[in-house]
Amino acid sequence: MATSNQFDAIVVGSGMSGGWAAKELTEKGLKTLVLERGRNIRHITDYSTALKDPWQLPHNNRTSTIADRAAQPIQSTLYLYDQSTKQHFVNDLEQPYEQAQPFSWYRGYQVGGRSLMWARHVFRYSDLDFEANQREGVGIDWPIRYADIRPWYEHVERFIGASGENSGLAQLPEQILQPPFEMNALEKHIRERMAAKFGGERKLICSATAVLSREHNGRGPCQGRNQCARGCPFSAYFSSNGVTLPAAAATGNLTLKPDSIAHSLIYDEGKKRVAGVRVVDAATRKTTEYFARVVFLCGSTLNSTALMLNSKSSRFPNGFGNDSGELGHNLMDHHNGGGATASYPGLADRYYRGRRSTSMYIPRFRNVSRREEKFTRGYGYEVYTNRGSWTRGIESADFGAAFKNEITRPGEWSLYTEGYGETLSNHENRMWLSPDKTDSWGIPKIHVSMKYGDNEKAMAKQMMDDAVEMLQAAGLENIQGFNREVTPGSVIHEMGTARMGRDPKTSVLNAHNQVHAVPNVFVTDGSCMVSSPTQNPSLTYMALTARAASHAVEQLKRGEI
Amino acid sequence: MTDRRSFLRGASVLMGHAAFGQVMTAFAAAPRKPTWFTAAEMTTLQSLVDVILPATDSPSASAADTHYFIDLAIPACATPEAQKTFRAGLVAMKNFATLAPAEQATRLKARATADLALPYDQSFFRILKDYTLCGYFLSEIGATQALAYERVPGGFQGDLPLAANQKAWAI
Repeated sequence: MATSNQFDAIVVGSGMSGGWAAKELTEKGLKTLVLERGRNIRHITDYSTALKDPWQLPHNNRTSTIADRAAQPIQSTLYLYDQSTKQHFVNDLEQPYEQAQPFSWYRGYQVGGRSLMWARHVFRYSDLDFEANQREGVGIDWPIRYADIRPWYEHVERFIGASGENSGLAQLPEQILQPPFEMNALEKHIRERMAAKFGGERKLICSATAVLSREHNGRGPCQGRNQCARGCPFSAYFSSNGVTLPAAAATGNLTLKPDSIAHSLIYDEGKKRVAGVRVVDAATRKTTEYFARVVFLCGSTLNSTALMLNSKSSRFPNGFGNDSGELGHNLMDHHNGGGATASYPGLADRYYRGRRSTSMYIPRFRNVSRREEKFTRGYGYEVYTNRGSWTRGIESADFGAAFKNEITRPGEWSLYTEGYGETLSNHENRMWLSPDKTDSWGIPKIHVSMKYGDNEKAMAKQMMDDAVEMLQAAGLENIQGFNREVTPGSVIHEMGTARMGRDPKTSVLNAHNQVHAVPNVFVTDGSCMVSSPTQNPSLTYMALTARAASHAVEQLKRGEI
Repeated sequence: MTDRRSFLRGASVLMGHAAFGQVMTAFAAAPRKPTWFTAAEMTTLQSLVDVILPATDSPSASAADTHYFIDLAIPACATPEAQKTFRAGLVAMKNFATLAPAEQATRLKARATADLALPYDQSFFRILKDYTLCGYFLSEIGATQALAYERVPGGFQGDLPLAANQKAWAI
């Protein structure tokens, strides 16, 4: 085999986790190949819609056209999808999967993956999260605790740059944060009223977000456009494209190959190690083999797991690293069906300028100091407020000059909040590969089956009731609670299908994200998760990736892998 | 916090951005001929959008070519059922442009009353309001003259006194 196909490390995927693997491995001197199944998107240069005004976009940036809904029937239902962002989402017809239960899989197949369009919330997990499974006898125990990951949270936070407010609550550990974006008048009002009513147990803070409120390493600060998902020309939010991949490239050790679909892992039965990755060229469908001493799987939960399931050998007849039979199982996503809307007639003389690209947050308060009877675990709320815009005129019967004058002035304050709840690990929630159907590249189609359980349903009801109670306490009006059905996948935090654990009989990965039986393969995207906590997971994926990369390099140096 | 300096710095970064020139030249005039509506339907539509959003201290909907926006957006974006509803609604309003202003208001009010409770795809009035407001307020004229718009605000100021005559932000 040609030596040009030989690297020190191969990273499959260039998104949130893959970018971090690339940065850490290249900075430690490893010649690293990053395989990305989608096309290249160069930072800034390829953000084709970034600075367009609404009238410069098709149909004034209406959410979707008939043609969009035909080509992207799943992607076009996402809140982020419009004429300025649709190029960052897959064509569902070209990238089919099977839904045994409804499962909305939102995907970005391109360099940077979903780090281009993520919601940027970055909270740490705490020992309340890491210990929960063991304490309650749910699923399996995390093989790590907060002390193991804490230095890596710090490492990641220092590099990515995040802004926000530390809550002072033990369940949401203190972070390295730039000053938060300012609250508006209604948010300040709610914060004061909540402090008076709930004595610090429930509080409103500015979310920790990977958006810069100050300049950081030549990036940012945020210019208040709130058009992040188009790509940021000011590099003000964290993406692989803007932050980790450029750092990796600067070492001279990075080879980035877009349009390269990982087909399967090449297992060396003699050495009991993975020798490399079989890759299909997205355009020509030609197969090429690449070789390395260590492989990082960072292709997003379902795709990394599919790659392992598709890598069969006499040693691993049921999928690579699948001695436990858990590979593909224990699929989780958050649920966000419970919340409330409200309005506030006061503070009519206050307004704001700019478009803040983060939310306010109410950290988890259930099952923290007291044990709830109806459900275990908890939820935090994202809170969004604004003053009414012209859109309030759409559903009204009015028209004419007075109508136009009225809706061109700032309207009443309104609020939207929804909880983000933990989903318990459940063996029945899973993905698997089709035995006979393949995609256009000869790779078996992914099947997904996931349902929320009784704990999630009981929690969602309380999520609604608590939202209503807090808004009443804050003196808001027209409070409408909701508890809607959530399609699994739609929170875009799918995780858990190659979980970490202490015991190879019940888990796929060890405490350093290594496949138990094959220690030169690391899996560091969402598939490694043992439980889902309430907090957004990307920061934890990044921290686990950096931690695993450090471990990999140490073991390589010692000749252990 | 955001101040004028950081705002201007944002603008200078913007000018240096490779795509900026492209963005400015990509801005083409709306076509003047209807593509989907008949000339008669277009006449009706033009009157309707101006009755909904007449000239005030800012230009009227038709001055911002809202009817041409609708002519392109309805066939591209609306469901087949909504398209059918919309065309039938225009045909039913066929002499609207010739009515006196007071009569136009009465006629549209009646239509609003009849249509507002209908499902969106079957409601001529709701589709009309949706596309008229989107077409106007997100046009350059609507966003910058009827409303306030900043492509690059330069940062975020959360809590400011509302200025006299402050228009609402377009986005």
